[in-house]
Amino acid sequence: MKKTTRKSLAILTGLGMVLSIAACGSPSDNAGGGDAEGGGTITVVLSNHPWQRALEPLIPEFEKESGIEVKVQTFAEQQARDKILLNLQSKSNAMDVYMTLPSREGPQFSSSGYYEELDDYLESAPEDYKATDFSPGAMDGMQADGATIALPINVEGPVLYYRKDVFDELGLKVPGTMEELIEVSKTIKEQGDGMIPITLRGASAAIPFTFGPFFHGEGLSWTTDGKANFDDPAAATAIDEYATLARDCGPPGVINYSFTESSNLFAQGKVAMELESSNELNSVIGESSTVVDQVGVAPIPAGSVEAAPTALSWGIGMSPFSESKDAAWEFMQWATSPEIQLALTEGEIAPPRDSVAADPEYTDTFDTDAKKEWGEAVADIQANGFVEVGPVGAEAPAMRKVIGDAIGKAILGEITAEQAAAEIQEGLTPLLDTK
Amino acid sequence: MPLIWPALIVTILLVVLPVLYTIWLSLSDRKIDGSNSGFVGLANFQTMFAEPEFWNSIRVTLFLFVLCLVVETVGGLALGYLLSIDVPGRAIFQGLMLIPAITASVAVALVWLLIYDPTLGAANQLLEAIGIDPVVWLGSREMAPWSIAIVDIWQWTPFMALIIAAGIRSLPSEPFEAAVIDGAGSIKKALFVGLPLLYPVLTVAMLLRTVDLVRFFDTVYIMTQGGPVNATNTLNVYGYTAAFIDQDPSYAAALQLSLFFLVIIVAGAFTWLRGKQSNAE
Repeated sequence: MKKTTRKSLAILTGLGMVLSIAACGSPSDNAGGGDAEGGGTITVVLSNHPWQRALEPLIPEFEKESGIEVKVQTFAEQQARDKILLNLQSKSNAMDVYMTLPSREGPQFSSSGYYEELDDYLESAPEDYKATDFSPGAMDGMQADGATIALPINVEGPVLYYRKDVFDELGLKVPGTMEELIEVSKTIKEQGDGMIPITLRGASAAIPFTFGPFFHGEGLSWTTDGKANFDDPAAATAIDEYATLARDCGPPGVINYSFTESSNLFAQGKVAMELESSNELNSVIGESSTVVDQVGVAPIPAGSVEAAPTALSWGIGMSPFSESKDAAWEFMQWATSPEIQLALTEGEIAPPRDSVAADPEYTDTFDTDAKKEWGEAVADIQANGFVEVGPVGAEAPAMRKVIGDAIGKAILGEITAEQAAAEIQEGLTPLLDTK
Repeated sequence: MPLIWPALIVTILLVVLPVLYTIWLSLSDRKIDGSNSGFVGLANFQTMFAEPEFWNSIRVTLFLFVLCLVVETVGGLALGYLLSIDVPGRAIFQGLMLIPAITASVAVALVWLLIYDPTLGAANQLLEAIGIDPVVWLGSREMAPWSIAIVDIWQWTPFMALIIAAGIRSLPSEPFEAAVIDGAGSIKKALFVGLPLLYPVLTVAMLLRTVDLVRFFDTVYIMTQGGPVNATNTLNVYGYTAAFIDQDPSYAAALQLSLFFLVIIVAGAFTWLRGKQSNAE
């Protein structure tokens, strides 16, 4: 063999070894699985979320009752998505149940056949599961192409957390409209002695969830008949309000902020208001918070046309490639049962079941003002929330990035709100067409 | 020859086939449900070349590559020289300096994320203590690439220094003695004798960093996900976003292939320069 050939073979082999080490991390097939009767093993992929943190400690109880072994894999939100998508695209049986955000990936996953349809399971569910007890809003969000694709596990939407002591000291009123919100923020900036007025989302992919109420509050919906509505002058108004708050009254570096950063800042007492998901209550009144007794919660302020909170439900879906579907369903049924959803309220998970939401065992736990106010804000979200977190369609994730990127540029002051609106309109149009 | 078959088969399965599949992906239109509507020629590459974000990601990649490589090499030379001097406790120093390089990049990035926090982080508290205005490390498009570069430089300069120190210690002493007899001072000795002798070691160290830097991913992915507004969107991060967020596997394959070629071109240029240099000697 010639010397050069041998050399290149050696290099190739070396490369191969390196890559084969990397390949060990790829999804592997489930060794367990199989018979649902009397146990089996299922794998559940979860996203790091208050629901997951509240549920995990209860799982051993389920394992004991059912004899089913539950392997839980938890990842940060985006990594969980990657992992779930890899499993689904490779049609792997290594994942049986997964957490999903139907308002984001529902149409896309559904058209790709990534959800096991659940209607038959629901019909044959036992009486005490109360399959019809889920609130209609939450259940509507779990439909795609006329089928039920997931079971709702919570209700959440943006609310306004604020510091009562700061508001008292400066003699401020809790803002009821976006205009008042901006005014109050400016007052805190001038008189608040270095206190940051407000924190909200600036990270591109995260923006639509909290920007929605600004946009809908101007009387707009994301799309009409498949056409984006950012060419309406009111869209620029909404962008301007959001960008002004973030740029002029937000924390430095707000452009990288999502819920973790915002709640951290609030819990450390550095900021007077936080516009974030109702889920974050636990973070702002939890053990690590330095402002526990000063937290007030208000519904998100109204736009110039209407009050328009965003309502969102996470769900759990079943992989159609699971080989333990009966065991998987048993787990899903347990995790969304009235008893467990009541137990989860201890972790501040707002229940998607009407009966649980009205259960005195739950409502009696609102023993502080903050929790009472929070309970009212969540009830308002459940009753009046807009369920479209972003424009709906197979390209939903890409469309949210278009919106987030343009608003990000407006926050950085690189373009005006009008230019941002035009950029979004232009960016959304081809993505809506591919539907 | 028969003995090499097992290795060859593994290589074909794990290297050649995936690359061929990526090439096929980039020339076809794969939908996210796994169906593929077949050969589309160079359409994905046409989209890519027409996409401003592609050129932005090339620019970001090359910026980080050049900045980090230059600083890490110069810093590595300086630190490596110090490390090559025999002083008591040198071995301990050498061990400590390895820590950044053997720490997982994800952990490094998460810690730096805390340090960089504009309101609560250590970096700004330090600056304020010495009277400098706080900096929004990752929160502006101008600053973010530099902040990312600082992390990479912190992590990898010691690694360069260790390789270079080992190189310096293995240099023969005769050429230096001859230079002294010819009347060369310390600077001339270092520049015209030490550096050329060190050249082979230096280029190996630089080549190792080059391949990593062109594929810049983990630090960016953890710290900014390519933001703010794509200011740190390296080609590798862009390819990841195309595959997993936008879910366009064919376009992502085209991006990753162009990254593949970028690595080959840059690393190839290095190897060629090295060969030319050693032939000249």
